[in-house]
Amino acid sequence: MKSQHKENTLQKFLVQTALVVLSIVFLFPFAWMILTALKPLDETMTMPIKWIPSKFLWGNFLDAIKYGHESVGYYPFLVYARNSLVLCALIVSGTVASNSIVAYSFSRLRWPGRDLAFGITLATMMVPFPVLMVPTFALFRHLDWIGTYRPLWVPAWFGSAFSIFLLRQFFRTIPFELTEAAKIDGASEWRIFRTIVLPLSKAALAVVALFSFMGAWNDFLGPLIYLLDQKTFTLSLGLQFYQSQNGGTSWNLLMAASAMVIAPVIILFFFTQRLFIQGIAITGLKG
Amino acid sequence: MKKIGRREAWAGYIFASPWLIGFFVFMAYPLVASIYFSFCDYSVLKPPVWVGLDNYKALVNDDLFWTALKNTLLYAILALPAGMATAIILAMLLNAKIKGMAVYRTFFFIPSLVPQVSLAILWMWVLNGEHGVLNPILNPILNKIHLTGPNWMGDPNWSKPALVIMSVWGVGNAVLIYLAGLQDVPTQLIEAAELDGANSWQKTRNVTIPMISPVILFNLIMGIIGTLQVFTVPYIMFPNGAPARSTYFYAVYLYDNAFRYHKMGYASAMGWIMFVMILVLTLGSLRLTEKHVHYQGS
Amino acid sequence: MDRNALTIPALAVAVIGTLYMSEQLTAPDQPDSKVHVKYWEKWTAFEFDAMKHVVDSFNKSQDKIQVDILSVSGIEDKTLMAISGGIPPDVVGLYGENVTQYADNHAVMVLDDMCRDAGIKRESYISPFWDAGVIRGHLYALPSTPATTALHYNKALFREAGLDPEKPPRTIDELNEMADKLTKRDEKGHVIRTGFMPGEPGWWNWSWGPFFGGKLWNGKDKITLDSPENVKAFEWVQSFSKKWGASALQSFKSGFGSFSSPQNAFMMKQNAMEIQGVWMYNFIHMYAPKLEWGAAPFPTATAGVPDPTVVDMDVLCLPSGSKHPKEAFEFIKYVQSQKGMEMLCLGQKKITPLRDVSPGFIENHPNPYIKLFIKMAYSKGAVSTPKLGIWSQYKDEMSSAFDAITLMQKTPKEALTDTTNRLQPMLDQYLQRLHLRGEL
Repeated sequence: MKSQHKENTLQKFLVQTALVVLSIVFLFPFAWMILTALKPLDETMTMPIKWIPSKFLWGNFLDAIKYGHESVGYYPFLVYARNSLVLCALIVSGTVASNSIVAYSFSRLRWPGRDLAFGITLATMMVPFPVLMVPTFALFRHLDWIGTYRPLWVPAWFGSAFSIFLLRQFFRTIPFELTEAAKIDGASEWRIFRTIVLPLSKAALAVVALFSFMGAWNDFLGPLIYLLDQKTFTLSLGLQFYQSQNGGTSWNLLMAASAMVIAPVIILFFFTQRLFIQGIAITGLKG
Repeated sequence: MKKIGRREAWAGYIFASPWLIGFFVFMAYPLVASIYFSFCDYSVLKPPVWVGLDNYKALVNDDLFWTALKNTLLYAILALPAGMATAIILAMLLNAKIKGMAVYRTFFFIPSLVPQVSLAILWMWVLNGEHGVLNPILNPILNKIHLTGPNWMGDPNWSKPALVIMSVWGVGNAVLIYLAGLQDVPTQLIEAAELDGANSWQKTRNVTIPMISPVILFNLIMGIIGTLQVFTVPYIMFPNGAPARSTYFYAVYLYDNAFRYHKMGYASAMGWIMFVMILVLTLGSLRLTEKHVHYQGS
Repeated sequence: MDRNALTIPALAVAVIGTLYMSEQLTAPDQPDSKVHVKYWEKWTAFEFDAMKHVVDSFNKSQDKIQVDILSVSGIEDKTLMAISGGIPPDVVGLYGENVTQYADNHAVMVLDDMCRDAGIKRESYISPFWDAGVIRGHLYALPSTPATTALHYNKALFREAGLDPEKPPRTIDELNEMADKLTKRDEKGHVIRTGFMPGEPGWWNWSWGPFFGGKLWNGKDKITLDSPENVKAFEWVQSFSKKWGASALQSFKSGFGSFSSPQNAFMMKQNAMEIQGVWMYNFIHMYAPKLEWGAAPFPTATAGVPDPTVVDMDVLCLPSGSKHPKEAFEFIKYVQSQKGMEMLCLGQKKITPLRDVSPGFIENHPNPYIKLFIKMAYSKGAVSTPKLGIWSQYKDEMSSAFDAITLMQKTPKEALTDTTNRLQPMLDQYLQRLHLRGEL
């Protein structure tokens, strides 16, 4: 017993060391980003590399927000951030609402053709976005939706295979006795869904929400195709605008802007990670 | 009872209707339309004109198509195993019972939260051959064996490995899914193995890996689908697939054809070829792993 | 009362609120008594400000039309998407090289009649700047600002290398010789300064062939990139990689800062001579005001192309489907007037495309070499982008061929033959499909 204890301590030590080393490797580009964000411009491109800024310019963050204000008459960073938030809100709410309803149907209701439909649903995960790109563009063009946010969020309200799958797996783990009892009391399916199934599924819903938030927040190709007016751009598209317009001129501001794009997401994740991992664990991606 | 069954079926259709509509409008229709477009000359500005197999014939003879395909497959062959191995190892480390695990987990997940655009911009900065920060770190080690850090972004031999490194950096998503899978492995099984005197490696090899094999398969398939579609990072970092088309990927060429050269028909043909490829690879990996994937409870 | 009962209605209200907001963000502006002309332009920073100034003065000059200018990145692709999406701007500032593809797709309107009615004539323009907008006999674009290129060189480095700073090279051989003298290596043998590098700034990689008398196509149906003149030009391009090492040159180049920054290779004295346009003065003035520099015609490589220069321009077009083409053309007309044009070109510190130059334009122009750049526009060796519908592909192919040549992956002959063989079927197919649509 004693030797086993020893082995465990040693093992823990090794794991801890490995984690520390790997953390440094993984966080390194990130730290470099923050350091660059705080530098004066002429220190961003020095040979040999200047690691630590001679003075920490916290004002760079403010400058990054103000950047471009003079020539366009609005604060691009703030406008892009607002656009991203609005779009993300619509996409996340749509994803959660539509997929939970659909997953309920696939997991707890019996209807002819259900299993076949579910099989096809899973198969759609294999359809690459580029295949759909051209006809969907033509479709939205037909609806006069180019240049609006609709092509980006409306589809989210009609379900997606990955989220349906995740939620279906989770809903199946809720004991059927719970819902059967309500059914015998004459509760409608909607009522059962809303008062029994949804409240028990917060973790799984959080997972779906976070995944869809990340997808929407990071999406580049969608906005690149459908948004035309610079004022309607999202942050991920807007950041590229900073870059291609200004090349390496203000690396420090570019890094400051990037850091500000990432920060809220990191904070959100830090506080929800336990719920999040639980959510995935329970949904169990085992097919 | 019969009545309830019918009511339930109705409720089922109604509840499933958002997706059923979504499937037909945003999936089935575009799929069918893109087959049709792939046989047309179509610039979006004009109605499509039927040209038969022309687009497919032109594709076969298009060197750039083959270059893009080759680049994409090569990238997938490098990035997939590297990413999966890293993700599994990280997930196992992160599954240990150690203080401050929430912080570590967040650390490894941070990179996958970074928007692709920031990621591309950040790494352009890290990898720059002259001013970048990676080479000054590697050089002291490499100099001992009489080498210097490569010109990551300018040398066609190193531009793909550079992208692979970046993709490994962003494995956080997969780590999370593995981690969830690991937490699902029954502790009795591991304890039983310990009683049998198994060491760590044996435990991993004979218990843990088989138990999470469905998750590995899931990540493999998602990985295949994802890496073959790689777009944003190379599109931003390497305009026009520079240097010398070494980073010109399939999805980038497809995008260029559709939205820059306005050859929507050609792009649709490319899309279909990609779809078939993914289909074959997915079914292939399902087939090949059939014997090795262990499902709990079956 | 069930607390949860309110959750869903509350969420629904929030979602509808967000939805309303998202619609507002992309909604068109409220109409007022004026006709609003939506104008997309590619420029940013001071170049944008110069155009904004012209727009403001147009808006003040009358009270019926209001031009709203917007800066749009990736304009050549975005505009086509907007046109195909049915919501084009009313005026668009494209690059001159986009015009053919747009015209072939009927994405921009023919301006012949409007120009005739407005009295805008070819005779008023330095010919390449008018001709670039003419596709198959019809005018589709008028210049906004034009540019010509010349050899920029660093006088201080010339002196340091024992060269006469007032005698820039006149022939390619002289250029080669001077480049050798100006090139410097450190004690380890790494290149730390180049005298001349064909890949810097790398914006006109296609133009080396024409500078050596080569043709990019026969003007009708044949790609002629593999002609002996083109091959000769790229053999010269490759000679720099041979001399200084392909990978050494590549890694030296990767350390250059971006063009519009103080880290620009020319301003950092890392590159002593390079081809640049009339705009270079602005950036030198901004980032390296102390730099001692000169500009001269690029040396002549072949007698047929004396004083070679790339004639490049930005253009104004009316996208098809524009809601107010007449009002939009009023604005174009204003820009084409001598007053409007000189206000714009002086603001952007470029040359004017018009033959008549107001007294004071040259005197007030801050660029000390402005006369040279105007003269270059009349040069017999002026080279413009070919009027090819597949030019965006041509240019992409060209830049990867250029990479292959400078990285020594292929001989110039191989690279150009390969590229020709790739482009020829593309052109054939393109022409065949134009034919199919009844355009030819």
